[in-house]
Amino acid sequence: MNKQVLHSFLNLGVALAVAAAPAFAQSKYKAPRTPDGVPDIEGVYSNSSNVPLERANNLGAKEFYTPAELTAQAKAAAVPREKAATQVGTVADIHYDVSQFGLGKTVTDAMVNTRTSLIVGPTGKVPPMIAAATKRQQAARALTAGHEMDGPENRGIAERCFYWGGEGPPMMPQGYNSNLQIAQGPGYVAIQQEMIHDVRIIPTDNRAHLDPSIRQWFGNSVGHWEGETLVVDTTNFNDQPALGRGASRDLHVVERFTRTGPETVLYQFTVSDPQTWETSWSGEYPMGKIKGQVYEYACQEGNYGMANILSGARADEKKAAQK
Amino acid sequence: MRTKFALIIAAVGLAASAIPAVAHHAFAAEFDASRPLKLTGTVTKWELVNPHSWIHLDVKNADGSVTAWMIEGGSPNSLLRLGFTKNSLPEGSQITVDGYQAKDGANRAVGKALTFTKDGKSLFMGGSAPGADGGGQEK
Repeated sequence: MNKQVLHSFLNLGVALAVAAAPAFAQSKYKAPRTPDGVPDIEGVYSNSSNVPLERANNLGAKEFYTPAELTAQAKAAAVPREKAATQVGTVADIHYDVSQFGLGKTVTDAMVNTRTSLIVGPTGKVPPMIAAATKRQQAARALTAGHEMDGPENRGIAERCFYWGGEGPPMMPQGYNSNLQIAQGPGYVAIQQEMIHDVRIIPTDNRAHLDPSIRQWFGNSVGHWEGETLVVDTTNFNDQPALGRGASRDLHVVERFTRTGPETVLYQFTVSDPQTWETSWSGEYPMGKIKGQVYEYACQEGNYGMANILSGARADEKKAAQK
Repeated sequence: MRTKFALIIAAVGLAASAIPAVAHHAFAAEFDASRPLKLTGTVTKWELVNPHSWIHLDVKNADGSVTAWMIEGGSPNSLLRLGFTKNSLPEGSQITVDGYQAKDGANRAVGKALTFTKDGKSLFMGGSAPGADGGGQEK
């Protein structure tokens, strides 16, 4: 399966070629150095992936597909999405033809990844939430229950263009435009994700985190180098980490970036949050360099959708009142 | 058989998750399943904005009057990567849109299928690819 690109229906002029996942851990690649002597991980990468975060139940403890299974799966995924016909006049039918807009994971190059889930280990699942976390999540939902459409304040964070769930940390493959740029300067690494435009500026001197009283949407990231690997430690989240899944402000994320070849970086993450899960959980996936740049995604400026959604809700209310 | 079953499940999972994954919001909150429509008109503007691009369309009514419509489409970023630019859908293009009208009854719709009126070819695909007829590609 090496040197092969899957899901490459529209060639972006990119060859994201890499060894199958098990080989990553044993990577002996030594990255070129930046002028200040640390591994050079700069570049514009795609982290697009068809591998789900959690493993399907029927796969049990199976952590990797065989190359033959992966090929069969890629073929199945290659069926143009629009051929999965939906009935006219149904809610499922309301969408634009995503293939026309070059969107979705089936029209972007993705790294070969034989993993059955991004989460590593025998379960391949996010651990069950503790009872207190479930209660906290229910209480948060109860605050807006029945008033979800009242105004923009009650709409989802992504719909309001604050952040995209996959921005993390930990960063997750996005449904589309799943690209990011890593830039380095002396003592710093900056990560800009295309979805939806935010930049994390990470000092790499292993300094202390901000005071616990300071809480931020993307937390406070502090990094250091361990040989070939950039290690980024993030705490100081606010009450709504982009990870979602009930994570609390006590979320703690450790990310590891390791060059595994001239075009590739292995991204690994470990998530812990004792207010939400009894145990920590970890995942990994490869990222590959792409040609071109990360494009602007000025979400707020063009977000006609928000007004349309709210006016749609008002129309629904009017209709209901007339009945 | 167990393996085969697993792969089928995986493929179905992909198909089911495909649509929500590429949308910035729930389409059903914005558009009305009971208002499917077909519009044919002239492109007056194409807003290449995120999170959704919008095609402005002048549609001639039966009585000769003209109604301006806005059609919601996908993020322009992917189109840019595929080589499409603001000149790929020039003003004056005649297109046909199958879609759904906004819930509030305004002249806005989501474009379920977008085709060039003259030959029925899909917008941004096939004949509309950069360099091909009908694409209006910017050099």
